[in-house]
Amino acid sequence: MADQILQFLLTGITVGATYALVALGFAIIYNASDVVNFAQGEFVMIGAMSAVALSAGDGGLPMPVALLLAVLITVGVGVLLQRFAIAPARGASVVTTIIITIGASIFLRGVALLVWGKDIFALPAFSGDAPIHIGQATLLPQNLWVMGGAGLMVLGVHWFFGHTTIGKAVLACSCNRTAAHLVGINVGLMMLIAYGLSAFLGAMAGVLVAPITFTSYDAGVMLGLKGFAAAILGGMGNPMGAVAGGLLLGLIESLSAGLISSGYKDAIGFVILLLVLFFRPSGLFGRASVERV
Amino acid sequence: MKRLRGLFLLTLLVVILPLLFPDNYYVTVVAVSAALHAILAVGLNLLMGYAGLISLGHAAFFGIGAYTSGIVTTRFGLDPWSAMAAGMLLTGTIAFVMARPILRLKGHYLAMATLGLGIIVQIVLVQTEELTGGPDGLGGIPPLSLFGWEVDSDLRWYMLMSAVMLLVVWLALNIIDSRSGRALRALHGSEVAAEMMGIDTTVTKTGVFVVAALSASLAGSLFAHQQAFISPDSFNFFFSIELVTMVVLGGMASTFGAVFGAFVLTFLPELLVIFEDYEVMIFGAILMLMMIFLPQGLFVGLRDLLRRLLQQQRAPAPAPVVPAGEDKHDAA
Amino acid sequence: MTLLEVQGLTKSFGGVTAIADLGFDVPEGQVYSVIGPNGAGKTTLFNMLSGIYHPDEGSIHFQGREIIGLQPHKMAAMGLSRTFQNLQMFFNMSVLDNVMVGCHLRTGSGLFSAALRLPGVVREEREARRLAREALSFCDLERFVDQRADALPYGVLKRLEIARALAVGPKLLLMDEPAAGLNDTETAEMQRLIRCICERGITVLLVEHNMGLVMRVSDRILVLDYGTRLAEGTPLEIQNDRRVIEAYLGGEVQYAV
Ligand SMILES: Nc1ncnc2c1ncn2[C@@H]1O[C@H](COP(=O)(O)OP(=O)(O)OP(=O)(O)O)[C@@H](O)[C@H]1O
Ligand SMILES: [Mg+2]
Repeated sequence: MADQILQFLLTGITVGATYALVALGFAIIYNASDVVNFAQGEFVMIGAMSAVALSAGDGGLPMPVALLLAVLITVGVGVLLQRFAIAPARGASVVTTIIITIGASIFLRGVALLVWGKDIFALPAFSGDAPIHIGQATLLPQNLWVMGGAGLMVLGVHWFFGHTTIGKAVLACSCNRTAAHLVGINVGLMMLIAYGLSAFLGAMAGVLVAPITFTSYDAGVMLGLKGFAAAILGGMGNPMGAVAGGLLLGLIESLSAGLISSGYKDAIGFVILLLVLFFRPSGLFGRASVERV
Repeated sequence: MKRLRGLFLLTLLVVILPLLFPDNYYVTVVAVSAALHAILAVGLNLLMGYAGLISLGHAAFFGIGAYTSGIVTTRFGLDPWSAMAAGMLLTGTIAFVMARPILRLKGHYLAMATLGLGIIVQIVLVQTEELTGGPDGLGGIPPLSLFGWEVDSDLRWYMLMSAVMLLVVWLALNIIDSRSGRALRALHGSEVAAEMMGIDTTVTKTGVFVVAALSASLAGSLFAHQQAFISPDSFNFFFSIELVTMVVLGGMASTFGAVFGAFVLTFLPELLVIFEDYEVMIFGAILMLMMIFLPQGLFVGLRDLLRRLLQQQRAPAPAPVVPAGEDKHDAA
Repeated sequence: MTLLEVQGLTKSFGGVTAIADLGFDVPEGQVYSVIGPNGAGKTTLFNMLSGIYHPDEGSIHFQGREIIGLQPHKMAAMGLSRTFQNLQMFFNMSVLDNVMVGCHLRTGSGLFSAALRLPGVVREEREARRLAREALSFCDLERFVDQRADALPYGVLKRLEIARALAVGPKLLLMDEPAAGLNDTETAEMQRLIRCICERGITVLLVEHNMGLVMRVSDRILVLDYGTRLAEGTPLEIQNDRRVIEAYLGGEVQYAV
């Protein structure tokens, strides 16, 4: 039993690491522009799908090059999304922006469908398929890639916002756009950076996890929803809360799939999320705000 | 009566359409689902457009209504009308219980919670196979009959669905033009001020949530009896989003706007079919473009454009006047 | 008779004590003003009186009844209404509808009778409309009846908020800075309106920075400083109070009374 639980925990952390990256992307965009970007999951899909497309076949590029290009393509998509769909709609209501980003996600999915069709693809593992044994539990090298990669990126984002001028400038825009503009910050550029960064995180999640979970044109839908759920669970205003929310959601799902029922694992994740919200309406690590009148 | 002029025009349209185009696919098939969607959108609009409470899980209530009807008639042999009532009872109870904790949430947290609720219900529909038939769906649901009048042809479904739609529109218009409707709109305008005017905001939110859920359940039952077969896919996250989009296209806080949004969004995919593989992409693009360039919705956008054109013709422009119960402004 | 009785009221936000051990009595039928520098805790006091914030300590008696813990809509039902420092209009509604919301408690039909538009509902609507128009004309706003609230100038909105509060049919009206942002003519109108409200038998609790207005319109004044009571008395007493002159008015006192 203990071994089994160890196995569930390992799986949970891997899945959770993916969610964490998606959730982090949600939180960054939300903090920078007050938009919940429902196309976040499509970043993951585009990253994974373009990596597959670029590396596949005889004429395919070497893996590292394909991965790099795939990530760059996704960042490009993120920047274009900001520039042409989000920026023109500034000041729109919550619902309107939600529908714009949902429209964007449908659009991107439609493009993927055109380009790659409905097939399911796999990316080869980065360093072989030889399982690693930890007690009775086993782990693929790719799991380590996911955990390690996600860990590195979270640290990187933390450092970016805490210690670089650009990172601080992005945060300043989220606090007060006008003030940021007045002290000479290029708000438009900062928004592009925030969306680019989110797309980067999504693409990284996509390429890291594609060898394990496979990918297809609609792979981003559920991941996007899970990422949003994780970000809310942690508390939208807090990027590191979103990461914690992602890990937690991954663990909850893996444990409930193993111990209760795999069919209900998603439902259990959402039930726990609802319960958390009922008792903490601003998420686990979000700050409750008193409305001033 | 000025108050019901819009409803009168809509009724006229509903009656004339099949007379002009009998046996037309778009009238007897597509318009029937459009009317069904309109019932859903008008209910959701009370919640979203008027009270300003977003729901990304409205398909759940549609599904509970449909499945209750389907299960109760096929497995327990109840007649469709009692099944419909049972569906509404169940949906209403679930909505009532969930309303209080969920509607305490704000903004994106509320969006997430309703989305979660929708997903949970969908998973339960898939998983409880013995009852719902699981992912394969549930078939053999009997058609409706009204005092011996079997609703068994497309045209008859057109009549029934349109009649229910008109009824729901009438009820919604009545609610909006009343003390309760003002309470809803006040809630949207300023929650503290609404409380200070003596409105119990918790009760008001619960009430509108239940009403929206009831209309969704009613639509669900109609859908189940019309289709004779239902599967969980009809009640997924995407359908919830489609409903929200209908309301937003209609301009939020406009009942006729919601009806309009339902028709546009039902006909659009039918028309996009000719683009085959490009359909999904074009649909996404249209959604984005409409929201970017007409954030106040297509219906209100077109209406305002029309008004401006008319006003230019007969200057001087009259002072802005709000038609009863029609909010153009959306402060969500 | 005392309408409102406050004792030992305390409220802090994190480290900031907004109101500390505050006590005062508001006599019925008067205009009672609360003044004090920015951040003195006046709005916080109003928020506690109207049930929006929950005090940390203390008691509030309204018409002899303890009201702490009651939600704002219950306070409204007891006869307390208010306006807000930052306008809280229903900008998505017409002027008439705004004020008709104020009549919520004076009508009673529910969701289902409304949906079916039973005859009672129609009658009630007519009555609510009458009450709303009355409140509007009392505040000299008949001209704007059919306009949208978001199309109105600030000065009109300030009065509209009062009309809406009056439509509730209050015994006690809390007004948070009704003259802020108004020009001289509008301020004079506001002064007249406040006296008219009081003459109708409605007790007014007023927060206002315009000293001239406060001195002219008030029966009694409470001076707050950092959430505590600095002085209390008639306008004349306050104007001659050493502590007030030193602490609040910085030594130079010149009223245009
Ligand atoms: N919701 C809140 N959260 C945190 N602090 C608050 C809150 N509301 C008020 N405060 C603090 O309490 C103190 C009193 O504020 P309050 O708004 O009551 O002052 P005021 O007397 O109304 O000032 P003004 O004349 O500027 O309106 C201030 O220091 C303010 O920052
Ligand atoms: Mg104040």
